[in-house]
Amino acid sequence: MEQDSGQDAQQYRPQLLDAGQPRVWQRACHQCDLLLTRAHAPVGQRLLCPRCGATLHRNMERSVAHTAALSLSGLLLFIPSATLPLLEFSLFSFGAENTLLNGVQALFAAGYMWLASIVLFCSVLAPLGKFLLLAFICWGSGWASLAKPVARALRWYHHLQEWGMLDVYMLGILVALVKMSDLGKMTVEPGLYCFVAMMVISSAATVSFDAETVWARLARRAAATGGGDKDRKAAQ
Amino acid sequence: MNRPARALSQGFWTCLGCRLLVKAPEKRNTLSCLCPRCGARMHGRVEGSIMLTWALTITGALLLIPANILPVMTVIYLGAGEPSTIVGGTLELYQNGLWGIALIVFVASVAVPVMKLVGLVILCLIVQWRLDVAPRQAMRIYRVVNAIGRWSLLDLFMISILVALVDMGAIAEVAAGAGSTAFATVVVVTMFAVRAFDPRLIWDIYEEKMAAVDSKARDEERE
Repeated sequence: MEQDSGQDAQQYRPQLLDAGQPRVWQRACHQCDLLLTRAHAPVGQRLLCPRCGATLHRNMERSVAHTAALSLSGLLLFIPSATLPLLEFSLFSFGAENTLLNGVQALFAAGYMWLASIVLFCSVLAPLGKFLLLAFICWGSGWASLAKPVARALRWYHHLQEWGMLDVYMLGILVALVKMSDLGKMTVEPGLYCFVAMMVISSAATVSFDAETVWARLARRAAATGGGDKDRKAAQ
Repeated sequence: MNRPARALSQGFWTCLGCRLLVKAPEKRNTLSCLCPRCGARMHGRVEGSIMLTWALTITGALLLIPANILPVMTVIYLGAGEPSTIVGGTLELYQNGLWGIALIVFVASVAVPVMKLVGLVILCLIVQWRLDVAPRQAMRIYRVVNAIGRWSLLDLFMISILVALVDMGAIAEVAAGAGSTAFATVVVVTMFAVRAFDPRLIWDIYEEKMAAVDSKARDEERE
Protein backbone atom coordinates (compact mmCIF):
# COMPACT_ATOMS: atom_id res chain seq x y z
CA MET A 1 0.00 0.00 0.00
CA GLU A 2 2.65 2.45 1.08
CA GLN A 3 5.03 1.66 -1.72
CA ASP A 4 2.75 2.64 -4.56
CA SER A 5 1.47 5.73 -2.81
CA GLY A 6 2.92 8.19 -5.35
CA GLN A 7 4.62 11.48 -4.75
CA ASP A 8 1.70 13.57 -3.56
CA ALA A 9 1.63 11.60 -0.33
CA GLN A 10 5.19 12.51 0.46
CA GLN A 11 4.73 16.13 -0.44
CA TYR A 12 1.69 16.55 1.68
CA ARG A 13 1.10 15.35 5.21
CA PRO A 14 -2.47 16.14 6.19
CA GLN A 15 -2.82 18.21 9.29
CA LEU A 16 -4.32 16.68 12.38
CA LEU A 17 -7.01 18.72 14.04
CA ASP A 18 -6.04 20.11 17.40
CA ALA A 19 -8.64 19.33 20.01
CA GLY A 20 -7.67 22.42 22.00
CA GLN A 21 -9.10 24.87 19.49
CA PRO A 22 -12.51 26.26 20.42
CA ARG A 23 -15.52 24.95 18.47
CA VAL A 24 -13.55 23.01 16.00
CA TRP A 25 -15.03 20.34 13.80
CA GLN A 26 -14.23 16.98 15.28
CA ARG A 27 -15.75 14.47 12.92
CA ALA A 28 -17.67 14.16 9.70
CA CYS A 29 -20.33 11.52 9.18
CA HIS A 30 -18.82 8.90 6.90
CA GLN A 31 -22.14 8.38 5.15
CA CYS A 32 -23.43 11.92 4.60
CA ASP A 33 -20.38 14.14 5.27
CA LEU A 34 -22.14 16.23 7.92
CA LEU A 35 -19.63 18.01 10.17
CA LEU A 36 -19.99 17.54 13.89
CA THR A 37 -18.33 19.24 16.83
CA ARG A 38 -18.23 16.02 18.80
CA ALA A 39 -16.16 12.99 17.92
CA HIS A 40 -16.94 10.37 20.52
CA ALA A 41 -19.97 8.97 22.26
CA PRO A 42 -20.01 8.89 26.05
CA VAL A 43 -19.12 5.52 27.54
CA GLY A 44 -21.85 2.95 27.05
CA GLN A 45 -23.67 4.99 24.42
CA ARG A 46 -23.80 5.43 20.69
CA LEU A 47 -23.22 8.54 18.63
CA LEU A 48 -25.67 8.74 15.74
CA CYS A 49 -25.51 11.14 12.84
CA PRO A 50 -28.28 13.68 13.49
CA ARG A 51 -29.06 13.92 9.80
CA CYS A 52 -28.76 10.49 8.20
CA GLY A 53 -28.85 8.35 11.32
CA ALA A 54 -25.64 6.41 10.68
CA THR A 55 -23.89 5.01 13.75
CA LEU A 56 -20.74 7.08 14.02
CA HIS A 57 -19.28 5.67 17.17
CA ARG A 58 -20.30 2.97 19.60
CA ASN A 59 -18.48 3.36 22.87
CA MET A 60 -18.77 0.08 24.75
CA GLU A 61 -17.71 -0.10 28.35
CA ARG A 62 -14.20 -1.54 28.77
CA SER A 63 -14.12 -2.28 25.08
CA VAL A 64 -10.44 -3.26 24.84
CA ALA A 65 -10.50 -5.67 27.79
CA HIS A 66 -13.73 -7.33 26.67
CA THR A 67 -12.58 -7.67 23.09
CA ALA A 68 -9.24 -9.12 24.19
CA ALA A 69 -11.01 -11.72 26.31
CA LEU A 70 -13.56 -12.54 23.62
CA SER A 71 -10.99 -12.87 20.85
CA LEU A 72 -8.86 -15.19 22.96
CA SER A 73 -11.80 -17.44 23.75
CA GLY A 74 -12.75 -17.31 20.09
CA LEU A 75 -9.27 -18.50 19.15
CA LEU A 76 -9.48 -21.33 21.65
CA LEU A 77 -12.91 -22.37 20.38
CA PHE A 78 -11.65 -22.26 16.82
CA ILE A 79 -9.48 -25.33 17.45
CA PRO A 80 -12.29 -27.78 18.30
CA SER A 81 -14.74 -26.30 15.81
CA ALA A 82 -12.25 -26.67 12.97
CA THR A 83 -11.07 -30.16 13.88
CA LEU A 84 -14.12 -31.90 15.34
CA PRO A 85 -16.92 -33.03 13.01
CA LEU A 86 -19.97 -30.75 12.90
CA LEU A 87 -22.57 -33.10 11.49
CA GLU A 88 -22.81 -36.77 10.75
CA PHE A 89 -25.00 -38.22 8.05
CA SER A 90 -25.73 -41.90 7.97
CA LEU A 91 -27.60 -43.91 5.41
CA PHE A 92 -28.08 -47.66 5.84
CA SER A 93 -24.68 -48.71 7.13
CA PHE A 94 -22.75 -45.89 5.52
CA GLY A 95 -21.79 -42.74 7.34
CA ALA A 96 -19.96 -39.54 6.55
CA GLU A 97 -18.90 -36.62 8.67
CA ASN A 98 -18.60 -32.97 7.91
CA THR A 99 -15.95 -30.68 9.36
CA LEU A 100 -15.32 -27.04 8.55
CA LEU A 101 -12.54 -28.02 6.18
CA ASN A 102 -13.54 -31.23 4.44
CA GLY A 103 -16.41 -29.54 2.58
CA VAL A 104 -13.88 -27.16 1.10
CA GLN A 105 -11.61 -30.09 0.37
CA ALA A 106 -14.37 -31.98 -1.44
CA LEU A 107 -15.24 -28.95 -3.56
CA PHE A 108 -11.58 -28.43 -4.34
CA ALA A 109 -11.16 -32.05 -5.36
CA ALA A 110 -14.21 -31.78 -7.62
CA GLY A 111 -12.55 -28.91 -9.45
CA TYR A 112 -14.52 -25.97 -8.04
CA MET A 113 -11.46 -23.98 -7.02
CA TRP A 114 -13.08 -20.55 -7.01
CA LEU A 115 -16.11 -21.70 -5.06
CA ALA A 116 -13.92 -23.64 -2.63
CA SER A 117 -11.69 -20.66 -1.99
CA ILE A 118 -14.66 -18.36 -1.35
CA VAL A 119 -16.12 -20.84 1.13
CA LEU A 120 -12.71 -21.35 2.74
CA PHE A 121 -12.11 -17.63 3.03
CA CYS A 122 -15.53 -16.67 4.41
CA SER A 123 -15.98 -19.55 6.81
CA VAL A 124 -12.45 -20.28 8.04
CA LEU A 125 -9.79 -17.74 7.12
CA ALA A 126 -11.74 -14.52 7.67
CA PRO A 127 -13.13 -15.51 11.11
CA LEU A 128 -9.72 -16.80 12.19
CA GLY A 129 -8.06 -13.66 10.88
CA LYS A 130 -10.58 -11.52 12.71
CA PHE A 131 -9.87 -13.21 16.01
CA LEU A 132 -6.10 -13.03 15.50
CA LEU A 133 -6.19 -9.36 14.49
CA LEU A 134 -8.48 -8.42 17.37
CA ALA A 135 -6.30 -10.24 19.87
CA PHE A 136 -3.20 -8.59 18.46
CA ILE A 137 -4.81 -5.14 18.41
CA CYS A 138 -6.09 -5.38 21.96
CA TRP A 139 -2.94 -6.79 23.51
CA GLY A 140 -0.53 -4.91 21.28
CA SER A 141 -2.03 -1.48 21.86
CA GLY A 142 -0.54 -1.56 25.34
CA TRP A 143 3.00 -1.18 23.98
CA ALA A 144 4.06 2.02 22.26
CA SER A 145 6.65 0.14 20.22
CA LEU A 146 3.90 -1.86 18.51
CA ALA A 147 2.01 1.24 17.36
CA LYS A 148 2.80 0.78 13.67
CA PRO A 149 1.84 -2.90 13.36
CA VAL A 150 -1.30 -2.27 15.42
CA ALA A 151 -2.33 0.55 13.09
CA ARG A 152 -1.83 -1.79 10.16
CA ALA A 153 -3.81 -4.54 11.90
CA LEU A 154 -6.66 -2.08 12.48
CA ARG A 155 -6.71 -1.31 8.79
CA TRP A 156 -6.76 -4.99 7.84
CA TYR A 157 -9.48 -5.68 10.36
CA HIS A 158 -11.59 -2.95 8.79
CA HIS A 159 -11.37 -4.69 5.41
CA LEU A 160 -11.73 -8.21 6.73
CA GLN A 161 -14.67 -7.56 9.00
CA GLU A 162 -17.58 -8.09 6.65
CA TRP A 163 -16.13 -11.27 5.15
CA GLY A 164 -16.37 -13.33 8.29
CA MET A 165 -19.65 -15.16 7.81
CA LEU A 166 -19.96 -17.62 10.64
CA ASP A 167 -23.62 -16.73 11.17
CA VAL A 168 -24.43 -17.37 7.53
CA TYR A 169 -22.56 -20.68 7.70
CA MET A 170 -24.59 -21.60 10.77
CA LEU A 171 -27.82 -21.04 8.86
CA GLY A 172 -26.34 -23.13 6.05
CA ILE A 173 -25.81 -25.97 8.52
CA LEU A 174 -29.41 -25.71 9.69
CA VAL A 175 -30.73 -25.76 6.14
CA ALA A 176 -28.57 -28.77 5.30
CA LEU A 177 -29.76 -30.49 8.47
CA VAL A 178 -33.42 -30.10 7.61
CA LYS A 179 -33.03 -30.68 3.89
CA MET A 180 -31.31 -34.04 4.24
CA SER A 181 -33.21 -35.32 7.26
CA ASP A 182 -35.78 -37.15 5.13
CA LEU A 183 -33.07 -38.87 3.10
CA GLY A 184 -31.01 -40.33 5.91
CA LYS A 185 -30.18 -39.85 9.55
CA MET A 186 -28.54 -36.61 10.57
CA THR A 187 -26.69 -36.39 13.87
CA VAL A 188 -25.35 -33.28 15.52
CA GLU A 189 -21.75 -33.78 16.58
CA PRO A 190 -19.84 -32.02 19.40
CA GLY A 191 -18.00 -29.79 16.95
CA LEU A 192 -21.26 -28.01 16.18
CA TYR A 193 -21.65 -26.82 19.77
CA CYS A 194 -18.15 -25.37 19.67
CA PHE A 195 -18.99 -23.78 16.33
CA VAL A 196 -22.15 -22.15 17.72
CA ALA A 197 -20.20 -20.83 20.70
CA MET A 198 -17.53 -19.47 18.37
CA MET A 199 -20.18 -17.79 16.23
CA VAL A 200 -21.77 -16.09 19.24
CA ILE A 201 -18.36 -14.98 20.53
CA SER A 202 -17.41 -13.69 17.10
CA SER A 203 -20.52 -11.48 16.98
CA ALA A 204 -19.94 -10.33 20.55
CA ALA A 205 -16.33 -9.44 19.77
CA THR A 206 -17.38 -7.48 16.69
CA VAL A 207 -19.92 -5.52 18.72
CA SER A 208 -17.67 -4.84 21.69
CA PHE A 209 -14.68 -3.77 19.59
CA ASP A 210 -14.27 -0.05 19.17
CA ALA A 211 -11.44 1.21 16.98
CA GLU A 212 -11.63 4.75 18.37
CA THR A 213 -10.73 3.54 21.85
CA VAL A 214 -7.68 1.77 20.46
CA TRP A 215 -6.61 4.86 18.51
CA ALA A 216 -6.96 6.97 21.65
CA ARG A 217 -4.93 4.40 23.57
CA LEU A 218 -2.20 4.40 20.94
CA ALA A 219 -2.06 8.19 21.03
CA ARG A 220 -1.80 8.13 24.85
CA ARG A 221 1.06 5.60 24.73
CA ALA A 222 2.89 7.65 22.13
CA ALA A 223 2.53 10.78 24.23
CA ALA A 224 3.66 8.98 27.39
CA THR A 225 6.90 7.79 25.80
CA GLY A 226 7.59 11.24 24.42
CA GLY A 227 7.33 10.13 20.83
CA GLY A 228 4.30 12.33 20.28
CA ASP A 229 6.00 15.43 21.68
CA LYS A 230 9.05 14.91 19.53
CA ASP A 231 6.88 14.66 16.44
CA ARG A 232 5.02 17.80 17.32
CA LYS A 233 8.23 19.73 17.88
CA ALA A 234 9.61 18.48 14.60
CA ALA A 235 6.45 19.65 12.87
CA GLN A 236 6.79 23.12 14.35
CA MET B 1 -31.21 29.82 4.93
CA ASN B 2 -28.19 28.22 6.52
CA ARG B 3 -27.33 24.79 5.28
CA PRO B 4 -25.59 22.37 7.64
CA ALA B 5 -21.79 22.42 7.31
CA ARG B 6 -20.33 19.58 5.29
CA ALA B 7 -16.79 18.33 5.38
CA LEU B 8 -15.80 18.54 1.72
CA SER B 9 -17.07 22.07 1.19
CA GLN B 10 -15.35 23.23 4.40
CA GLY B 11 -12.05 21.71 3.29
CA PHE B 12 -12.04 18.52 5.33
CA TRP B 13 -11.68 14.90 4.35
CA THR B 14 -12.69 11.83 6.31
CA CYS B 15 -10.57 8.71 6.24
CA LEU B 16 -12.90 5.82 5.47
CA GLY B 17 -10.52 3.37 7.13
CA CYS B 18 -10.40 4.92 10.59
CA ARG B 19 -12.87 7.81 10.22
CA LEU B 20 -10.36 10.46 11.17
CA LEU B 21 -11.18 13.99 10.07
CA VAL B 22 -8.25 15.79 8.49
CA LYS B 23 -7.77 19.08 6.64
CA ALA B 24 -7.84 18.46 2.90
CA PRO B 25 -4.63 19.16 0.98
CA GLU B 26 -4.48 22.84 0.11
CA LYS B 27 -2.82 22.23 -3.21
CA ARG B 28 -5.49 22.06 -5.91
CA ASN B 29 -5.93 18.91 -7.96
CA THR B 30 -4.60 16.74 -5.17
CA LEU B 31 -6.92 13.79 -5.40
CA SER B 32 -5.64 11.67 -2.58
CA CYS B 33 -3.24 11.47 0.31
CA LEU B 34 -2.40 8.99 3.05
CA CYS B 35 -4.25 9.03 6.33
CA PRO B 36 -1.86 10.28 9.03
CA ARG B 37 -3.34 7.88 11.56
CA CYS B 38 -3.98 4.56 9.84
CA GLY B 39 -2.04 5.04 6.61
CA ALA B 40 -4.91 4.21 4.26
CA ARG B 41 -5.31 6.10 1.02
CA MET B 42 -7.94 8.79 1.46
CA HIS B 43 -9.93 10.96 -0.91
CA GLY B 44 -12.57 13.65 -0.61
CA ARG B 45 -15.00 11.26 -2.23
CA VAL B 46 -14.38 7.68 -3.26
CA GLU B 47 -12.64 7.89 -6.60
CA GLY B 48 -14.71 6.77 -9.59
CA SER B 49 -17.39 5.52 -7.23
CA ILE B 50 -20.35 5.54 -9.60
CA MET B 51 -18.37 4.14 -12.51
CA LEU B 52 -17.04 1.26 -10.42
CA THR B 53 -20.44 0.55 -8.88
CA TRP B 54 -22.04 0.48 -12.33
CA ALA B 55 -19.37 -1.85 -13.66
CA LEU B 56 -19.66 -4.30 -10.78
CA THR B 57 -23.46 -4.15 -10.76
CA ILE B 58 -23.69 -4.91 -14.46
CA THR B 59 -21.20 -7.75 -14.05
CA GLY B 60 -23.31 -9.14 -11.23
CA ALA B 61 -26.52 -8.83 -13.24
CA LEU B 62 -24.99 -10.66 -16.20
CA LEU B 63 -23.61 -13.41 -14.00
CA LEU B 64 -27.01 -13.88 -12.40
CA ILE B 65 -28.23 -15.39 -15.68
CA PRO B 66 -25.86 -18.42 -15.72
CA ALA B 67 -26.25 -18.65 -11.95
CA ASN B 68 -29.96 -19.29 -12.40
CA ILE B 69 -29.91 -21.30 -15.63
CA LEU B 70 -27.09 -23.71 -14.82
CA PRO B 71 -27.60 -26.31 -12.10
CA VAL B 72 -26.06 -25.53 -8.73
CA MET B 73 -26.34 -28.95 -7.18
CA THR B 74 -27.12 -32.56 -8.04
CA VAL B 75 -28.50 -34.92 -5.44
CA ILE B 76 -28.11 -38.52 -6.58
CA TYR B 77 -30.03 -41.02 -4.51
CA LEU B 78 -29.83 -44.71 -5.41
CA GLY B 79 -28.49 -43.88 -8.82
CA ALA B 80 -31.29 -41.49 -9.68
CA GLY B 81 -31.26 -37.75 -9.44
CA GLU B 82 -31.38 -34.70 -11.59
CA PRO B 83 -29.36 -31.52 -11.42
CA SER B 84 -31.37 -28.72 -9.86
CA THR B 85 -31.11 -24.98 -10.28
CA ILE B 86 -31.46 -22.47 -7.45
CA VAL B 87 -35.16 -21.88 -8.08
CA GLY B 88 -35.72 -25.58 -8.71
CA GLY B 89 -34.14 -26.49 -5.39
CA THR B 90 -36.36 -24.02 -3.58
CA LEU B 91 -39.48 -25.38 -5.29
CA GLU B 92 -38.47 -28.91 -4.37
CA LEU B 93 -38.15 -27.95 -0.72
CA TYR B 94 -41.58 -26.34 -0.88
CA GLN B 95 -43.14 -29.40 -2.49
CA ASN B 96 -41.62 -31.60 0.18
CA GLY B 97 -43.53 -29.55 2.72
CA LEU B 98 -40.49 -27.83 4.18
CA TRP B 99 -41.92 -24.41 3.47
CA GLY B 100 -40.01 -22.68 6.29
CA ILE B 101 -36.64 -23.77 4.96
CA ALA B 102 -37.88 -23.10 1.42
CA LEU B 103 -38.67 -19.53 2.44
CA ILE B 104 -35.22 -19.02 3.99
CA VAL B 105 -33.47 -20.40 0.93
CA PHE B 106 -35.72 -18.39 -1.39
CA VAL B 107 -35.02 -15.15 0.44
CA ALA B 108 -31.27 -15.78 0.69
CA SER B 109 -30.56 -17.01 -2.79
CA VAL B 110 -33.28 -15.55 -5.01
CA ALA B 111 -34.75 -12.44 -3.39
CA VAL B 112 -31.56 -11.01 -1.87
CA PRO B 113 -29.35 -11.01 -4.99
CA VAL B 114 -32.13 -9.55 -7.12
CA MET B 115 -33.02 -6.94 -4.50
CA LYS B 116 -29.37 -6.05 -4.12
CA LEU B 117 -28.87 -5.52 -7.84
CA VAL B 118 -32.09 -3.52 -8.17
CA GLY B 119 -31.10 -1.43 -5.15
CA LEU B 120 -27.65 -0.73 -6.58
CA VAL B 121 -29.13 0.28 -9.93
CA ILE B 122 -31.58 2.62 -8.18
CA LEU B 123 -28.76 4.17 -6.13
CA CYS B 124 -26.60 4.70 -9.20
CA LEU B 125 -29.51 6.21 -11.10
CA ILE B 126 -30.31 8.55 -8.22
CA VAL B 127 -26.77 9.92 -8.34
CA GLN B 128 -26.32 9.83 -12.09
CA TRP B 129 -29.66 11.32 -13.14
CA ARG B 130 -29.97 13.48 -10.04
CA LEU B 131 -33.42 12.09 -9.33
CA ASP B 132 -35.67 13.85 -6.85
CA VAL B 133 -35.56 11.24 -4.12
CA ALA B 134 -35.49 12.16 -0.46
CA PRO B 135 -31.90 11.43 0.65
CA ARG B 136 -33.16 9.58 3.72
CA GLN B 137 -35.04 7.17 1.46
CA ALA B 138 -31.93 6.62 -0.64
CA MET B 139 -29.90 6.01 2.51
CA ARG B 140 -32.45 3.42 3.57
CA ILE B 141 -31.93 1.57 0.29
CA TYR B 142 -28.18 1.82 0.76
CA ARG B 143 -28.29 0.39 4.27
CA VAL B 144 -30.60 -2.48 3.34
CA VAL B 145 -28.42 -3.38 0.35
CA ASN B 146 -25.36 -3.20 2.59
CA ALA B 147 -26.84 -5.38 5.32
CA ILE B 148 -28.45 -8.18 3.30
CA GLY B 149 -25.57 -8.88 0.94
CA ARG B 150 -23.67 -11.51 2.86
CA TRP B 151 -26.66 -13.78 3.46
CA SER B 152 -26.71 -14.89 -0.17
CA LEU B 153 -23.71 -17.11 0.49
CA LEU B 154 -26.03 -19.38 2.49
CA ASP B 155 -26.72 -21.64 -0.47
CA LEU B 156 -23.04 -22.08 -1.22
CA PHE B 157 -22.18 -22.96 2.36
CA MET B 158 -25.00 -25.48 2.30
CA ILE B 159 -23.62 -27.03 -0.89
CA SER B 160 -20.12 -27.29 0.60
CA ILE B 161 -21.56 -29.00 3.69
CA LEU B 162 -23.67 -31.43 1.68
CA VAL B 163 -20.88 -32.32 -0.72
CA ALA B 164 -18.78 -33.55 2.18
CA LEU B 165 -21.66 -35.03 4.12
CA VAL B 166 -23.51 -37.00 1.46
CA ASP B 167 -20.72 -38.90 -0.22
CA MET B 168 -21.58 -42.59 -0.41
CA GLY B 169 -20.75 -43.42 -3.98
CA ALA B 170 -23.60 -45.14 -5.77
CA ILE B 171 -26.11 -44.92 -2.93
CA ALA B 172 -26.24 -41.22 -2.37
CA GLU B 173 -24.09 -38.39 -3.54
CA VAL B 174 -24.29 -34.63 -3.76
CA ALA B 175 -22.28 -32.89 -6.44
CA ALA B 176 -21.89 -29.19 -7.02
CA GLY B 177 -22.81 -27.70 -10.39
CA ALA B 178 -21.38 -25.01 -12.62
CA GLY B 179 -24.11 -22.56 -11.60
CA SER B 180 -22.69 -22.39 -8.10
CA THR B 181 -19.46 -20.83 -9.34
CA ALA B 182 -21.43 -18.13 -11.15
CA PHE B 183 -23.60 -17.57 -8.11
CA ALA B 184 -20.58 -17.23 -5.79
CA THR B 185 -19.16 -14.64 -8.15
CA VAL B 186 -22.44 -12.72 -8.16
CA VAL B 187 -22.35 -12.48 -4.36
CA VAL B 188 -18.72 -11.40 -4.19
CA VAL B 189 -19.03 -8.91 -7.04
CA THR B 190 -22.12 -7.26 -5.57
CA MET B 191 -20.47 -7.03 -2.16
CA PHE B 192 -17.63 -5.13 -3.81
CA ALA B 193 -20.18 -3.00 -5.66
CA VAL B 194 -21.77 -1.88 -2.39
CA ARG B 195 -18.29 -1.18 -1.02
CA ALA B 196 -17.51 0.99 -4.05
CA PHE B 197 -20.65 3.11 -3.72
CA ASP B 198 -20.12 6.34 -1.83
CA PRO B 199 -23.39 7.38 -0.12
CA ARG B 200 -22.09 10.91 0.40
CA LEU B 201 -22.73 11.55 -3.29
CA ILE B 202 -26.46 11.33 -2.58
CA TRP B 203 -26.14 14.14 -0.08
CA ASP B 204 -23.89 16.17 -2.39
CA ILE B 205 -26.64 16.25 -4.97
CA TYR B 206 -29.27 17.04 -2.37
CA GLU B 207 -27.21 19.94 -1.07
CA GLU B 208 -26.64 21.28 -4.57
CA LYS B 209 -30.37 21.21 -5.21
CA MET B 210 -31.12 22.92 -1.91
CA ALA B 211 -28.55 25.60 -2.68
CA ALA B 212 -30.21 26.20 -6.07
CA VAL B 213 -33.61 26.49 -4.38
CA ASP B 214 -32.20 28.93 -1.84
CA SER B 215 -30.57 31.18 -4.39
CA LYS B 216 -33.76 31.18 -6.46
CA ALA B 217 -35.78 32.22 -3.41
CA ARG B 218 -33.28 34.98 -2.68
CA ASP B 219 -33.53 36.26 -6.25
CA GLU B 220 -37.28 36.36 -6.04
CA GLU B 221 -37.13 38.25 -2.77
CA ARG B 222 -34.88 40.85 -4.35
CA GLU B 223 -37.27 41.41 -7.21
